[in-house]
Amino acid sequence: MRKQDMCAIIDLNEPSAALAPLTDERPVGTMPFAGRYRLVDFPLSAISNADIRTVGIFLPKSSRSVEDHVRSGQAWDLDTITGGVFTFPYVATRDYDDPANVHRYYDNYLTFLIKSKSEYVFITGARNVSNIDVSALLHFHQASPNPITAVYRSVPTASANPEQEAFVLDADNEVTDFAASKDVAERKSNHTKPISMQMYLTRTDYLIELLSRVQNSGKFIRLPELIHQEITTAQANAFEYTGYCATVHDIPSYFQANMDMLDEEKFHSLLFSQRAIYTKNKNEAPTYFAPEADVLSSLLGTGGRVYGKLRDSVLFRNVYVDHDAQVLHSIVMQGSRIGNGAHVEYVIMDKGCVVGPDVQLVGTAEAPIVLKKGTTILDQSAAEEVLQS
Amino acid sequence: MLAMILAGGQGTRLGKLTRFTAKPAVPFGGRYRIIDFALSNCSNSGVNTVGVVTQYQPLELNAHIQNGASWGLAEKNAGVTVLQPYASSEGEKWFLGTAHAIYQNIAYIDLYSPKYVLILSGDHIYKMDYEAMLAYHKAQHASLTVGVLPVTMQEATRFGIMNTDETNRIIQFEEKPKHPKSNLASMGIYIFNWQTLKKYLVDSYSTDGRMEDFGKDVIPAYLSHNEPTYAYAFHGYWKDVGTIQSLWQANMEFLEPDNPLDIDDRSWRIYSRNDALPPMFVTSTAKVHRSMIVDGCYVAGEVDHSILSQNVKVGTGSVIRDSMIMPNAVIGKNVLIDHAIVGERAVIGDGGQVVGTPDDIAVVGFQEVLGRMEEDD
Repeated sequence: MRKQDMCAIIDLNEPSAALAPLTDERPVGTMPFAGRYRLVDFPLSAISNADIRTVGIFLPKSSRSVEDHVRSGQAWDLDTITGGVFTFPYVATRDYDDPANVHRYYDNYLTFLIKSKSEYVFITGARNVSNIDVSALLHFHQASPNPITAVYRSVPTASANPEQEAFVLDADNEVTDFAASKDVAERKSNHTKPISMQMYLTRTDYLIELLSRVQNSGKFIRLPELIHQEITTAQANAFEYTGYCATVHDIPSYFQANMDMLDEEKFHSLLFSQRAIYTKNKNEAPTYFAPEADVLSSLLGTGGRVYGKLRDSVLFRNVYVDHDAQVLHSIVMQGSRIGNGAHVEYVIMDKGCVVGPDVQLVGTAEAPIVLKKGTTILDQSAAEEVLQS
Repeated sequence: MLAMILAGGQGTRLGKLTRFTAKPAVPFGGRYRIIDFALSNCSNSGVNTVGVVTQYQPLELNAHIQNGASWGLAEKNAGVTVLQPYASSEGEKWFLGTAHAIYQNIAYIDLYSPKYVLILSGDHIYKMDYEAMLAYHKAQHASLTVGVLPVTMQEATRFGIMNTDETNRIIQFEEKPKHPKSNLASMGIYIFNWQTLKKYLVDSYSTDGRMEDFGKDVIPAYLSHNEPTYAYAFHGYWKDVGTIQSLWQANMEFLEPDNPLDIDDRSWRIYSRNDALPPMFVTSTAKVHRSMIVDGCYVAGEVDHSILSQNVKVGTGSVIRDSMIMPNAVIGKNVLIDHAIVGERAVIGDGGQVVGTPDDIAVVGFQEVLGRMEEDD
């Protein structure tokens, strides 16, 4: 495939309220993940690995972290002479009462798609963390006459989130409708439900035609809903993704997705496959393990210093764990500090948090304690205050 | 000021580690290659035009440096240029010595018409502000300033020693003197006024062609012609890593949390070209103490007082002690590595042993394969 045969749209307007306070100042797409990454690294890497070099990023309301992370797209080889990263600013929903803005909404997509000169377009978000082979998806799509291909994964009925969006499939394995997974019949052969990954592939001219039609009708329908509508009226293929996937939609699912990376099989499947995951590079020193360090079953970023005990935890760059501190089943983001003798268990510490000496913070697997960015807890009474609020 | 980094040396005394790569490209401290220190010092000192003179096995060095962006040295009208020997109508231009290499690259330097040229070697571990040295050079109205390191009188017999007067002006240069008169060892760091140096080189090569080496030829010529030549003393951590023993020693010193090199100092970062690798994975069977580990590593064995570079795998039951493991090395199960340096992409099969002593460090070469991996059950 020539590099311009395909383009991609990453829509970072994804539901984030259930992930507060981690999403107070960032969209789901730039949530830190697995000690090193941001969620948007996964779609960007999948796109790059499929030789796509033209990407439109539809920015969420808080886009500073996206711009800071993606920059020129160089980390994903997207800073090329043709194509590149195109960003589209957020427009508040209420502003779509103005027909001019509605017109512009479609214009943004249309301009991008027309200028891409691509034959196909891959549409994705960032909250379904996966390592998808977009070239394989394209080949699958090309083998069928249907205009759209939608991506799903098979989730055992017992572990499927009842509210998550699933496909209603017909006998030919074509998507006829969408419904909450609880309302979709399980597949008898393997007791699974086809859960949507909110990823689509279609011909670019088909999407241009579709968007132009809606633009001319004067109605306002966002692209994701538009694709839904189209799939339920036209025929759509269902492509099954079989690798590791986690949907980050609330705190427990975010916590679990990170803990999954401590499972070697899942870690290798997502991060060490033939399709590498790229991210913005940082120059940090190696992580130092002191004589008294006691580290088991953990992931660590660089630039850290570990004097205490770590179990089943995910540490990002530049984290300091002091003497006799215990960090168990926790996620500790960039630049956080854990003081002498502190005990941190089932806690998510956002960037730049400080837990002082001998402070005890113990959450549960179902409800981990979340410290928002920059929280400083110097003693136990301060810890109680944070837990109350 | 423009910098020229002399990175053409083979580093014969590093043996198997430099069989397929130049000494400045040898990995150091888990995340770096030796040349990163000179390049980062340039970047941090505001020296944004750097020529890297290569000759011996330049492939890895080229791949590492690329366009210099990793060190912030990819600006317009500046940046890093890798300079390799080339053929011309006057014949082949292999570099015969440090000064000859500069002579061969006069055209490159003249492209930028710098007032001063900083000459560096690409094989030392140190953090130094070249801008401060230039300020000193200007204040002394020097024609040449030589970076010197005060060493003990005993060590002085192994270095090129600068004898100075009370104003730090160099009056005599002695190579490895038996009875040193001073303890100021040349660091191989020079600031020259470019037009003057160029004149000396051009004059020499249009007559006798003797200006091959800075230490042997250029400095003595400057002294005999009474060019104002000054010594600039450096007082920080500086390590020549030219031998297996000193490379191992420098890595072990790097492990100490209070190492004066202070690698964590964010105001003077050492940059390197990094691949995007997953975070390090320390499994439920690992033991890690007094060690440094970087991204891409997978540790299921015991690591004590050692450095693991990027993408190193250590299998269960293996013990790594007092050792430096270079990038992409794979260490199988139940392996013992003690007082050793394991080269890049080396493979140590299951049950293997690589054991040295503090005075005789064991070395596994670049891409060397010892033993084999048993099938997984």
